[in-house]
Amino acid sequence: MLPGYPYSILNFFQYTFFYILFSIPLTLSYRNTKVINFAHANFISYGIYTAVFLNGLLGNTSLALACLAAFAVGGSIALVNHLLVFRPLEKRGASMSLIMIASMGLWIMYNYALYMLADIAHYYTLKNFISYGRIVYADVPEVELLGLRLQQSFVAGGLAALVLVASLYLFLEKTTLGKAMRAVADNPVLAEISGIPRNTIVNLTWLIAGGAAAVGGAIWTSFSGTVTPTSADAMILQVFTVSFIGGLVSLLRTGLGAVAIAFIENVGIAALNTYFGVPISFRPFLTFVTLLTILIAFPPLGAAGGLPFRFRSRKVRAE
Amino acid sequence: MIDVVGFLISWLTLLGIYAILALTLNFESGTSGVTNFGKVFFYGLGAYVGATLTVYLFLLLNGVDVSKTPPYDVSGIVLLGELAGKNPALNLGLLALSLATAFLVAGVIGYLLSYPIIRVGPAFVGFTLLSTGELFRIFLQHYEPVGGSRGLMSIPGPFSWVPQPRLREVLFLALVLAVLAATYLVMDRLTNSPLGRTLRAVRDDEVAALCMGKHVPKLKATVLFIGSGFSGVAGVLLAYYLTSVNPDMFVPAVTFNVWAMIILGGMGNLRGALLGASIFTFIDRALSFVTPQLGVTVISPDYVRGFAVGLVMVLVLLYRPQGLLPEGRVETVAWEELGGGASG
Repeated sequence: MLPGYPYSILNFFQYTFFYILFSIPLTLSYRNTKVINFAHANFISYGIYTAVFLNGLLGNTSLALACLAAFAVGGSIALVNHLLVFRPLEKRGASMSLIMIASMGLWIMYNYALYMLADIAHYYTLKNFISYGRIVYADVPEVELLGLRLQQSFVAGGLAALVLVASLYLFLEKTTLGKAMRAVADNPVLAEISGIPRNTIVNLTWLIAGGAAAVGGAIWTSFSGTVTPTSADAMILQVFTVSFIGGLVSLLRTGLGAVAIAFIENVGIAALNTYFGVPISFRPFLTFVTLLTILIAFPPLGAAGGLPFRFRSRKVRAE
Repeated sequence: MIDVVGFLISWLTLLGIYAILALTLNFESGTSGVTNFGKVFFYGLGAYVGATLTVYLFLLLNGVDVSKTPPYDVSGIVLLGELAGKNPALNLGLLALSLATAFLVAGVIGYLLSYPIIRVGPAFVGFTLLSTGELFRIFLQHYEPVGGSRGLMSIPGPFSWVPQPRLREVLFLALVLAVLAATYLVMDRLTNSPLGRTLRAVRDDEVAALCMGKHVPKLKATVLFIGSGFSGVAGVLLAYYLTSVNPDMFVPAVTFNVWAMIILGGMGNLRGALLGASIFTFIDRALSFVTPQLGVTVISPDYVRGFAVGLVMVLVLLYRPQGLLPEGRVETVAWEELGGGASG
């Protein structure tokens, strides 16, 4: 029997759903736009707070509505970022590092803007929005399966992850627009010469990436005990590591990365806790070790501007 | 009545500490293209190494059994306060030892940390260093010998034997400015040396530099050693200045602050880093003097300041990417001899 059963297994699935929802959009946005978006955490936190404000200010208890609103908010933030910041920088020929630094600036801005919004909402309603409790939704059932009670977030998260993966697969493999999107990811210049409207594709990518991550955030409110404006920032280590496992290009490997990291973090730490007494709060260290291992053993060479080879003196054998 | 001298001293001290960070980040990121998003890690590492070394050695050398009265305990803190002003030589000796150790520890860890990241792109470098800083914070919060989440308090400063508080502050300011001057000198010499020119080449095109026979990974590791070492020294100064350290002082916001300084000042320009540091620390100090007078406000001024830091970064990158002071040409001896240094 696995340590920590059944909670470690339930959490493993739960986190897999979340990491799929958070990381696949990140990989998608990088491979289509070549922008390393540190502001990705904002999509998640704004998704979270869309659901929180809908619940706290308007008394909404429908998760479906919260997800729709979160998609709209996250998608529009991503589009605005692209149109106002990333595209002008790209047009000027700014380097990848510079765009990345700009995205970090955006990250800070959005973060503090969220604190301000929470402060203003607190001023008018006297509710504490800086630390908001778990929301119970009316439109998602809790399911009994094999004697285990699956929470609302489990049902909704599983469904959303499935919808995201299935629709992305169908979209990228079966539709013309999806194929055009893959062409842009493979070679933007060639795609543009072939008459593919690259701008439209990039805009669409941002909409999907921002929106999907925000939907994940909205579902997070039905899972996490308390949410704060930095809830999403606390997850970026995992989210980025999962995407890095996919080399920031492969959606399939990103999905596998989500499974791997969720497994390491839940089952792995439960095992270490049971057998070696390692505190549960040390779970990020496991992810970090995984990250370093990947960087050393399988460096994503050539991706995101790295050196296109490994430094290892290989002697050329005389045949 | 506003205490102008007090304001100036506190501003210049903070400016000195942040300017060291800005200068080294400028060297790492502006000159060499290592996107160091984990500045706060090396800064915090230095602060903790200095603080831990000082409080433990201070008690041990005064004949206190640290296993019974650990320095993070209330009795230890009281004892530290009582003994602080007794022996000037001990205080100064511990200062020197802390500075040297922090430089070495932070530098060596920076060097080692470069191993997983030298071959991959800026995103991986930045992200790995960023998360190292966050994990370091989590570690500190749970590690009891350095005080856990409460941190270490009542760190005996190098000048705590001076009876007059104002003189003590001025002496410490002088120390900070001396370290800053040394850092500036080293960075200035490095950027204008053949090494600095090679680093610019690496920043502009890694593959080209590699093809020209430059050992890019070794260069980047060297850069991280030097930059991190000096950041560690800045951390020690901070620990002595505030006489306390705790994990919440070393949040990623510190890194972003330093980034905003060098972006506003001008990446790759040392004077720009100084200018950026002066502007941001001045606003920081001024706000902390003004905020108590505002009373209760709807929005906390801290949030507005944080928002402004991000906004400045984005706006400067969009509209004035070279910053206030653009990167100048490298000053070589030949250039000076030609007389170009005067006009350019």
